[in-house]
Amino acid sequence: MDEQLTFEQALERLEKIVLALQDGGLTLEESIALYEEGMGLARICNERLNAADLKITQLQTEFGQAPQNGDEPLP
Amino acid sequence: MRVYSVGEINRYLRELLEANAVLADLWVSGEVSNFSESAAGHLYFTLKDESSQLRCVFFRPKTAVDLENGTAVMAHGRVSLYEVSGALQLYVDLVQPEGVGLLHLEFERLKAKLEEEGLFEPARKRPLPAYPRRIGVVTSPTGAVLHDIVSIITRRYPLVEIVLSPTQVQGDGAVGGIVNAIAALDNTEGIDVIIVARGGGSIEDLWAFNEEKVARAIYGSRSPVISGVGHDTDFTIADFVADVRAPTPSAAAELAVPDRADLQAQVQSLTQALGSGLTRYLALFRQRLDELTRTVSTCLTGSLAISHERLRARELELASLSPLGTLRRGYALVQQSSTGAVVSRLEQVQRGDTIDVKVSDGQFRSRVTGSKKGLQGWMNSLPSSKP
Repeated sequence: MDEQLTFEQALERLEKIVLALQDGGLTLEESIALYEEGMGLARICNERLNAADLKITQLQTEFGQAPQNGDEPLP
Repeated sequence: MRVYSVGEINRYLRELLEANAVLADLWVSGEVSNFSESAAGHLYFTLKDESSQLRCVFFRPKTAVDLENGTAVMAHGRVSLYEVSGALQLYVDLVQPEGVGLLHLEFERLKAKLEEEGLFEPARKRPLPAYPRRIGVVTSPTGAVLHDIVSIITRRYPLVEIVLSPTQVQGDGAVGGIVNAIAALDNTEGIDVIIVARGGGSIEDLWAFNEEKVARAIYGSRSPVISGVGHDTDFTIADFVADVRAPTPSAAAELAVPDRADLQAQVQSLTQALGSGLTRYLALFRQRLDELTRTVSTCLTGSLAISHERLRARELELASLSPLGTLRRGYALVQQSSTGAVVSRLEQVQRGDTIDVKVSDGQFRSRVTGSKKGLQGWMNSLPSSKP
């Protein structure tokens, strides 16, 4: 299982696996392998959702260094 | 020193006037006088105040204009020189009664213009990404708006990076600042969606979001734009041109990202579907296995029965071939008593020979008293060949 998957990639793959399991036409080995992969993906999804830490960066615009001018009306 | 013709100087003046940005797009307020309408439908009038007058012409207004001498109006248009008469004129394209408020007039004018250009077309609105990774935020780096956006995204979907492109959002530098901030995000890799936001305020406070340059910057941005300006009752030009209009900055943040709780529920239900999918699969395989087992045992029973039958047929066949069987059917075995040789032809016996005759349940001894060659007329009395 690729541990580098993003939440979106893991969720997409998980949805495909559920569909495949519902469609039928798999061998016993395939269905068990898909089940195991799916459970791994669900774990990755939950980990991504739970462990996420919002990142904030700030671009250097002309205003980035200028004196602050907030949302409050100017005096 | 050279002498100019009247035409030359008038053309020079007209070009000078038309090169001026202020004169190309302006509002003038004043009182209407000398009003007249030509047969072709053009309106001619003069705007005046206490000390000055300005000649105006309004070529064929598209909609009916209610003008009469003495009305206080605001007229929008451009100032130029009519070379033929040398008259300085305001070429009017919009007239509104005084008192409506300049900002309102300007708002309606720009809105109509951009709408006609197609900047608000629903077909042009771009869909927002379902799972954005980098969200550009154009707003003031201080104040409640950025704080609200950050805290909402932290709560709902902290899997993203917020890229703040800071700008002034009101005052003289706001328009250029917002345009530059959007451009800076456009030059940044991987921005999936841009939030352009500002907290509530008066129409003057929000005015930058009603400027044409800001509207065009939003329209031209590479990433889809969510506008969240003021309160939900405020509509700005930026709202009309944005791909999605949010009523407030907080609502813009909510529209930008999915909710983690919903996603967890979705993963949960997919996990359940996975389990029930496998269970169903296993049940199917178990059922097939059962069916196969039953079929195998049915086949086995069947083939045993067939074998039995064949065995019995062989036994009967064997029985019919045994000499005992033949004897039971009434035939007899004849042997020379002296040698034990089986007698099958006349020449093997002489008159007076002792022979042993074997039948199904024993034997008896006899003497040969006569013989006769041939079996004619005797066949009919033979025992049946059937067992």
